Amino acid sequence: MRPLLALVALLALSPVPAAAAATTPTCGEPYRIDRTLPDGARWTMCWEMRNIEGLTLTQVAYTPKNGRAVGVLRSASLAQIQVPYDSGEPRYEDIGALGAAAIPLRAQDCPGGERPDQYVCVTTRPRGHAYFKDEPYASAQGDDLVVFSAFQVGWYTYLAEWAFGDTGTITPRVGATGSLADFTTTPAYGWPIGVGRHHFEESHSHNIFWRLDFDIDGRSGDRVEQYDFSGSGTTRRTMRRTALTRETAAVYRPMRWWRVVDYGVRNADGHAVSWEIDNSGSAQYRGPASERFTHADLYVTNYRACERLASENPTPRCADSVDKYVNGEVVRDPVVWVNVDFHHVVRDEDHDPMPTHWQGFHITPRDVTSTNPYR
Amino acid sequence: MAVGATTGALLWGHGLWQRSGPEAAQRAQRAPEPGDPLTPQEIAAASAAATSGFTEHMAAGSLDLLYVERDDDKAATSRRAEAYLYDYAHDRLIVRTVDLGTSRIVAERAASGRQAPPSQREEARAAVLLLADPKLGPKVRQAYATAAGHRLGSAADLHLQSLIYPRTPCEAHRCLQMFVRLPGGRWLDTSRIVADLSAKKIRSLEW
Repeated sequence: MRPLLALVALLALSPVPAAAAATTPTCGEPYRIDRTLPDGARWTMCWEMRNIEGLTLTQVAYTPKNGRAVGVLRSASLAQIQVPYDSGEPRYEDIGALGAAAIPLRAQDCPGGERPDQYVCVTTRPRGHAYFKDEPYASAQGDDLVVFSAFQVGWYTYLAEWAFGDTGTITPRVGATGSLADFTTTPAYGWPIGVGRHHFEESHSHNIFWRLDFDIDGRSGDRVEQYDFSGSGTTRRTMRRTALTRETAAVYRPMRWWRVVDYGVRNADGHAVSWEIDNSGSAQYRGPASERFTHADLYVTNYRACERLASENPTPRCADSVDKYVNGEVVRDPVVWVNVDFHHVVRDEDHDPMPTHWQGFHITPRDVTSTNPYR
Repeated sequence: MAVGATTGALLWGHGLWQRSGPEAAQRAQRAPEPGDPLTPQEIAAASAAATSGFTEHMAAGSLDLLYVERDDDKAATSRRAEAYLYDYAHDRLIVRTVDLGTSRIVAERAASGRQAPPSQREEARAAVLLLADPKLGPKVRQAYATAAGHRLGSAADLHLQSLIYPRTPCEAHRCLQMFVRLPGGRWLDTSRIVADLSAKKIRSLEW
């Protein structure tokens, strides 16, 4: 092997010192999470229980098996939980000083894991088949690193969970459990629970927003793109890429997804490293004109430290909701706000303690590694 | 001032949130790294700096420190804290940014009609207002006594939690929508009332 090629091969296989330094979290124990999954992939990050947003993960970096560390998220947290009831009232905004609402976790609440603090669980969870084929036979199991906290907000217990997969996936989700509000309503707005048709428990939505400040190997160079695949009732599907160069309020459609890409960061095949966002699991709640922040499913904004919540933003002299953060600015350092809504039409099964209903979305690496990250 | 040298007494003097209690204090033995949450000493130092000049207003109950949050602005070159204060007399939210290296206020933002989430001290005050309400107070006490099998000792026993209620009639005032779970797990129906901390009274909602 020629020296130059040998050097290129070495760089492809080894962590690059400069990048590694940039992805080493600047926090100490017990706030640093550094977990190598059974497969060999590694995630590092810092956690913080903030007064307002509650569990917040910062400086999140992923190291594929045999690969180099790549910074993914500068910061990730919940940014609002709006709970409007179907009759129109009440309409709660559940953030909320989440930090003070955190519930102490017991050992059984954190199976197989560790609690660096009584309010945070860090554990590893099997994820089923990583791959499986018969000829030549190949089979492996995958795992997620899971970080979660629980919050008591009124009747509801919210489980705020982040799963980081050994293939580089990130799955944020929130589970709602605890108790129903016990609001009775008319048949038009509810579902009868209990004996007969007397108690119509009111239907409602949980409209959850996450704030994701992507920094793929640093804050410069990140771009957001939207992908659509046209063609319906036809044999062909044509891909269309739209660069979201300015702040955008985007609406989900079938066969639409987004990615955050850094063309300055390449995998061994020379392809730009990116993370893809799939928000196909939302009920797409749309509130009245006074709640325009509910009118889109994904927002892209240029980073501003004062823009923290999707609505009821607590910073004076800063816009008060995510729809207003979108004001035509050129996006140089994208922050992505993902809105996933769940419409809860209550069932008999939801009697106390209410079984957990989950809502969330998927973030999937696209060209972070040049081949199957397990191999 | 070296922040690590500040004693915990300041912290308790400000009556801040229990999370900054003994466990956290023990952890604060080492100097914080840039990405660490604020230490109790840093919270105390930021609280003291941010409330300077407000002592009389705070004693009179017209202004309060809600909480102190780490400033996570990624452009910041030094470790900083953001102190959230609310001026009930003028209905203004004030956020003061404190440089933790110098304990000086380096920025201040204030606005009317903007709210930050309730603090635990505000929730304690809402519980007092609820019990002092001539119509609702006796009902709450009765509901508590029935659920608990004994009389309510103090407002703190309600363990009241809350969210901001920003709409009519509270566009200008700081109002808390309350949640009260009685012993045994039953909830009081508080969905149509709010504690107006600006007017220091319980208000009914019309819907």
